[in-house]
Amino acid sequence: MLQLIEPFMFGLLTVSILGAGLAVVLAPRITTSALAMAFAFLNVAGMFVLLGAETVAAFQVLIYVGAITVLILYGVMFTPQQPRAYGLFFQGQTPWGALLAALVALPVVIVAFTFVDAGVALEPGNDLRPLGTSVFRDFAFPFEVASLLLLAAMIGAIALVRREREIEEPPGAPHDPQRRGPRR
Amino acid sequence: MTSAVPLGAFIAVSALLFFIGLGGVLVRRNAVVILMCVELMLNAANLAFVAFSRRFGLVDERGSVFVVFVFVVAAAEVAVGLAIILAAYRNRPTVDVDEIQRMKG
Repeated sequence: MLQLIEPFMFGLLTVSILGAGLAVVLAPRITTSALAMAFAFLNVAGMFVLLGAETVAAFQVLIYVGAITVLILYGVMFTPQQPRAYGLFFQGQTPWGALLAALVALPVVIVAFTFVDAGVALEPGNDLRPLGTSVFRDFAFPFEVASLLLLAAMIGAIALVRREREIEEPPGAPHDPQRRGPRR
Repeated sequence: MTSAVPLGAFIAVSALLFFIGLGGVLVRRNAVVILMCVELMLNAANLAFVAFSRRFGLVDERGSVFVVFVFVVAAAEVAVGLAIILAAYRNRPTVDVDEIQRMKG
């Protein structure tokens, strides 16, 4: 009985992940897509727990489900669009794109099943200590570079969306409501 | 201790999620949805990283460290990507990738 729980959870998570992934691609409303994406992330975190990597699962929930989903929802909120026909959600090359993805996916999935487990498996859990030692010892330099990347991305994002200040009105000039600063 | 679910099944789920994301990038028009599909692809790669590091060959628990770097790159990518989309939207109110043809402001 206890042996059946793991395959059952795996099947449940698989159906949820693939269903949510398809919902992201096919949903007629963009908010539905965003929430389906959050659901897929949450189920991938469940997969991490099933693999015994609890720390990574916690990071997944914090960063993906928490931060990135909120960021994407902000993007959805700031770019409102007119309602339109469902067919117009897709590009003209949709059949070819879907065919290409399916054709490449087929051999890759077949090859994926050829990987077999090692003879010994890691005990589930307890992955915080190896993760911490590798981040701060073996991969300390890439870790620092990653922090620089985040800083550069933050500055770049702020610089891209910053509005130019309105040009200072010269003293005594009549106020012109039409006049704006250069828009970027 | 062997697990009830083989490694190949995890890798297959990861591959399927990756190709669903790839299909979304190829067929959708909305730039924000394309960004979401890229995130799905990154997450599929994460799943493969964790599965291989926990189960494959000479098990090395340090494999999960790459997932942390993928998190960092994903956060940077989505921040800059959304900033570009918002800048383009402010220029012309559309997020359709086939209508954003000019990169000049």
